[in-house]
Amino acid sequence: MLHDIRVLEISAPETMVAGEILADLGADVLVVEPPAGSQARRLEPFLDDTPGLERSLTWHALNRNKRGITLDLKDPDGRELFTILAAKFDVILETLGAQGESALDGFIFPAKMIRCSISPFASSGPKSEYASSDLVVMASSGAPGMTGDYDRPPIFFSVPQSMMEAGAEAAIAALASLVARDRDGVGQHAEISARIAAMTSAMSVPVVMGSGNREIPRMVGRTSVAGVDVPGVFGCADGYVLVTVAAFGPAFGPMTQRLAKWAADEGHLSREIADLNWSTFPADLSNKKTSPAQLAALVGGIRSLCLSKTKAELGAAARRLGLLTSPVMDMKDVAESEQYRGRGLWAPVSIRPDGRQLDAPARFAQFSDFTIEIARPAPLLSEHTVEILEAEAGLSRLEIQALFVQGVI
Amino acid sequence: MNAPLHGLHVLDLSWVMVGPLSGRYLSDLGADVIKVESRSRIDPLRTLGPFKDGKPGPERSISYHNLNAGKRSLAINMKEERGREIILRLAGWADVVLESFTPGVLENLKLDYHNLKQRNPNLIMVSTSILGQTGPHALGTSGVGTMGAAMSGATFLLGWPDRPPCGPFGPWTDGVAPRFIVSSILAALHNRSRTGHGTYIDVAQAETGLYFMSPAYYEYAANGSIPARRGDAGSPLRAPHGIYPCAGDDRWVAIDASRAGHWKAFRAVVGGALLDPRFDTLIARLRNRGELDAAISDWTRPQEANAVEQRVQAVGAPCHIVSRGEDLARDPHLVAAGHLRKIDDPVFGAAEIEGPRFRLHRTPHVETRRAPLIGEHTREILESICNFSEAEIAHLTEAGVLG
Repeated sequence: MLHDIRVLEISAPETMVAGEILADLGADVLVVEPPAGSQARRLEPFLDDTPGLERSLTWHALNRNKRGITLDLKDPDGRELFTILAAKFDVILETLGAQGESALDGFIFPAKMIRCSISPFASSGPKSEYASSDLVVMASSGAPGMTGDYDRPPIFFSVPQSMMEAGAEAAIAALASLVARDRDGVGQHAEISARIAAMTSAMSVPVVMGSGNREIPRMVGRTSVAGVDVPGVFGCADGYVLVTVAAFGPAFGPMTQRLAKWAADEGHLSREIADLNWSTFPADLSNKKTSPAQLAALVGGIRSLCLSKTKAELGAAARRLGLLTSPVMDMKDVAESEQYRGRGLWAPVSIRPDGRQLDAPARFAQFSDFTIEIARPAPLLSEHTVEILEAEAGLSRLEIQALFVQGVI
Repeated sequence: MNAPLHGLHVLDLSWVMVGPLSGRYLSDLGADVIKVESRSRIDPLRTLGPFKDGKPGPERSISYHNLNAGKRSLAINMKEERGREIILRLAGWADVVLESFTPGVLENLKLDYHNLKQRNPNLIMVSTSILGQTGPHALGTSGVGTMGAAMSGATFLLGWPDRPPCGPFGPWTDGVAPRFIVSSILAALHNRSRTGHGTYIDVAQAETGLYFMSPAYYEYAANGSIPARRGDAGSPLRAPHGIYPCAGDDRWVAIDASRAGHWKAFRAVVGGALLDPRFDTLIARLRNRGELDAAISDWTRPQEANAVEQRVQAVGAPCHIVSRGEDLARDPHLVAAGHLRKIDDPVFGAAEIEGPRFRLHRTPHVETRRAPLIGEHTREILESICNFSEAEIAHLTEAGVLG
């Protein structure tokens, strides 16, 4: 898809997903790191819980299909070499510091260049100078404020998400700029706010107040209908299962109806409760045709049903009967899923330094005439510096050694 | 300068969230997006809140506006033979078709890629569903983004160790998948501009969720350990790093002062118990984490969350309130960025929806507009794009194909 496009990624946690999406779609992506290595190499988890610049599994996961060089962008030689490289590239991905500063300040790029700059909040204005980290950006997104049990603090993913959200948004910005450039050959500057990107995960929370509504209380994973506590996740024989019980109306009500019927068929719910019209239940409730006790009975029946089944049995029933039900899969379940394997999600990749192989989720999309492949594992620090400086900048081996001796690469 | 997708035609057959949000990106980027919907089988998003002023109604869903802003609406019954013919004509007009039906539904209607491609050989078409179009569980799997989260491994990772997982807020993969869908479409447009060829794109929402969780997957695949849920944010490798209580109901602040410079500044502003030598070094803070978090909580608990944020940020350490809806509505960054945009709707009047999530300096996004009423543009679309006559439209109306 993007085989004619070349990308320079000034590596940071937030650029990784953007570079990876473009690389997976076929672009030639070159990661540029300072000689001491990118901050992104210091992200956990680490291979065998042993840290090291080549051992970050986050790095390995999000830098596949890229090549990597080191270059000191503060050094005159480093800057000159970067200028030479930039002339041959189409897209630059970078992050901005807390003062809006960039490692690329002072460079002049060709008009065709597409430059995507990611800030935690904004490059100017309120909060642009905020000190930030993934935790802080996610806190500002509105999603964790809705997440977790009300009697305890809000909860966050242990996998940093603001870098994922920002990177994925930056990929769109880069590609939209590319489509614009296809018309007239002119590039542009795109700016991405990690915070605004991450607000996607807050769904409609940002527009609740501006539409004349009151704050939604934090109560995730469960709902309360007519005073009946309806969990979203139930225990099952070998783990947990997600079951949407409180789904009514013409689109989702029939699914609840089928779930209730199955619970009755299996002897976990009385036929009388299962036979209620669950599509119209909330309306009937307000007309007093139904009662909260009936909903409580349904929830009790579902709880009992789930405990008698395994994740796999519940997943199979969901497909067979068309239920809003899914096993809560851990990463072992994901790795062993027949679906992902049968669909061809995986491709082998080697994890260096010891070269062990694993099957990685390789394809975020499947195309009729293009297949995302893992052509190369994530680059070692400075793995392609010599190759790139020879081929792209015309340096001799002697000159490259000189740069290394001075710490430029 | 025209927006990047000015002149691009998009036929959006999708509903609920993933497809509509993908279509919204294209609409914001200047494409003419026609959303196909129906009064008899209403888009469930129109039944989901928040509603303007809390009053439900199919034309009052702000969620619908937020995901369908700027589109035109065509209300037809696709299951009618003549409704199907309208879709085929529009497929001839479209550059891009988006759909999010349960796998198998479009095949049954003979409106799948194979059929649409015969009307438009260079079509770019995206199908998106929870598990994709292929694989042993694909056919018949329909569902929502909470299920996508559960099948991507994400739900399992969020919750308290002593309680069942609670999972992320809302239908999480509904926000993740559109990024990959839109990136794929834009790359396909670039490819088409060079080669003239369209493509068919199949995106499984659960797989995109797994992409956002890929470090946890790699932890299992490389190290053999299954990552588990661990309650609140505190990373075991960073301290202080966590969520602390503030004055008021369910008010919290996130603080990450684990880096040496941040710790020095934060410690100075808090003073008191934090000056204890037990907290001098990172290793000491990790070992005495319970006492450290208790001391920080003692300091934050009587204060307003916003005041803590300002005091800590003033000395340059990372800190932010755990934002809620009201906080976002008046957040100085979002106000200055103009992220929340006013719309004016003929049914309910004024409301706010979100603007685009990034900024293009040379070819900006189009102005943020409201979403359409159901079938608002049916007539103009049938006349100007499908070339139906007045009499034919009257006939379609009578036959119940429209609406």
